[in-house]
Amino acid sequence: MASAILSRSTLAGALSLAFCLPALAQQPASPPSWAQGRSADQATSPLAPHAPRLTATPVDRIPVDAIRVPQGFKAELWASGMPGARMMARGDDGTVYVGTRTIGRVYAVKEEGGTRTPRVLAQRLDQPNGVAVRDGSLYVIAISKVLRYDNIAQNPNAEPVELTAAFNLPTEAHHGWKFAAFGPDGKLYMNIGVPCNVCTFDENRHALIVRYNPDGSGREVVGHGVRNSVGFDWRPGTNVLYASNNARDWAGNDTPEDTLHRLTRAGEHHGFPYCSGAAWQDPGHTGRKCSEFPAPVALLGPHTAPLGMRFYTGTMFPEAYRGRAFVARHGSWNRDAKSGFDVVTVALNEDGSQGTVEPFLTGLLDSGDNSFKGRPTDVLMLPDGSMLVSDEHNGAIYRISYQR
Amino acid sequence: MLKSVMLKSVMLKSVLGGLALVALASSFSTARAQDAARGAALAAERNCGACHGERGVSAMQDIPSLAGQQREFIALQLVLFREGLRDVPPMLAAAEGLTDEQVEDLGAYFASLPHSPPEDRARRNVGAYNNGAALANRLRCGVCHLPTLVGQNQVPHIAGQREDFLASTLRAYRDDQRRGSDTQMNGVVQGLSNAQIAAIAHYVSQR
Repeated sequence: MASAILSRSTLAGALSLAFCLPALAQQPASPPSWAQGRSADQATSPLAPHAPRLTATPVDRIPVDAIRVPQGFKAELWASGMPGARMMARGDDGTVYVGTRTIGRVYAVKEEGGTRTPRVLAQRLDQPNGVAVRDGSLYVIAISKVLRYDNIAQNPNAEPVELTAAFNLPTEAHHGWKFAAFGPDGKLYMNIGVPCNVCTFDENRHALIVRYNPDGSGREVVGHGVRNSVGFDWRPGTNVLYASNNARDWAGNDTPEDTLHRLTRAGEHHGFPYCSGAAWQDPGHTGRKCSEFPAPVALLGPHTAPLGMRFYTGTMFPEAYRGRAFVARHGSWNRDAKSGFDVVTVALNEDGSQGTVEPFLTGLLDSGDNSFKGRPTDVLMLPDGSMLVSDEHNGAIYRISYQR
Repeated sequence: MLKSVMLKSVMLKSVLGGLALVALASSFSTARAQDAARGAALAAERNCGACHGERGVSAMQDIPSLAGQQREFIALQLVLFREGLRDVPPMLAAAEGLTDEQVEDLGAYFASLPHSPPEDRARRNVGAYNNGAALANRLRCGVCHLPTLVGQNQVPHIAGQREDFLASTLRAYRDDQRRGSDTQMNGVVQGLSNAQIAAIAHYVSQR
């Protein structure tokens, strides 16, 4: 069935993939992008992406008491009332900017007199998931729209400078939401996901991590064949980029695994759509073999949706945690028994080629009744060494600290 | 094993349909009833019934019935209206300034009303019905909307909805004039002809 899927880039904004249904008269209809690649025996599967919650969760219903962290660590509610809270970036004055998808908002959370009240900084945007701060300017990326808010700390109501034309990003909405961060080279890095579950596509245009000069010039492909990375960071003490990646759906409950990749050489190909997870060759895309691609550094579980990922650079946490990657796993939908809905750590070996995965923040998934209470989406390190974890499902941010 | 249990539970859900809603409502009874009561007062205040019908069953062309609709679907659409992300001019004023709690109350209220097809529903055209059923089966509408088309969570109850509204909504998705909370429906209806959309709308409205 996957072989019947052909790439075509026709109508702007529309999903560009077709699926042949012989009994439909003239024109082929397309299944929803998340359902592409679903086999005939999965046609009646009740699995579908989870509903977003777009209303604020009252404080007494935020499941902070359900959260489990290792001994000595503490989880507390840091901010709430931000429906759809996803990716986080911190300004020089300590304001935390929070991107969203469906609700179209960017929030700003500022600490004042010991309390943190979020305000809506921008709204009516198309999936403004990407937020990054550089030289006092906040960058917001909403699919292909790129906005820069200058001197945001001094001028919180600044009108943005529009950089959309300069960046010239693809306009496809599916997997078109961005993770954005500035690298140690001062360039703005972002993902460009694949506009389907699995398909044949232009490998110079999609399934990429790219970098630009902050003004949108100088586009370079940092990694090819990365299906959709919604979190990356540079290993402390090196300039080496590591990125989480979401593998395809509808290929079984346990395959392929989601992954953490090391991007050592600019322009290197990391396998999609041919090879994913633990050297899993996609039966619909056999043109290239797994042996042609660098193996992932760590396997993060099938369908767990690892999103925000950052290295721990502080000193508050015990020695063993320093330098580890913390990865927020948003949680599965395309798996009968749900998995993820947690934060794991990845400890790298000396040369950074392999990592060991350990659970860190748990308690939001109830395996007994196969339900979840929250969805960790991003992690962010604070200067005091504590760590923020955003929860899209509850529109909340938790703070994780350690006391010896 | 787990899969078979889940499939069974989905089948049960689809068989029981409205009964499941009643059971759900009773398990949360007090809180949900209070939400629905506040929602009823708010719906009266905002005059929702003028277009959507006094008991949420619309008698107006291209205006959807809301009685028995999914609670989460109502809340989500109201947020999209309020945030200016779904453009339906009459809903601008109706949704203006609603708090998140009010949005949820309105969802609870409309979900609590008994679902019913409109009084002016057309007589069944067997040919169009069968064509529509075959198309709906091919497009796998029942996966998200469930086999009885009563919807779940953010996926709306479409069975027994107004035929004219169903057809104009499907055309809007096809022509990229409307998006849901994601782009799934745009993909599903891509490339359908007006005649195919009319058949699907007839079939769904008759369910």
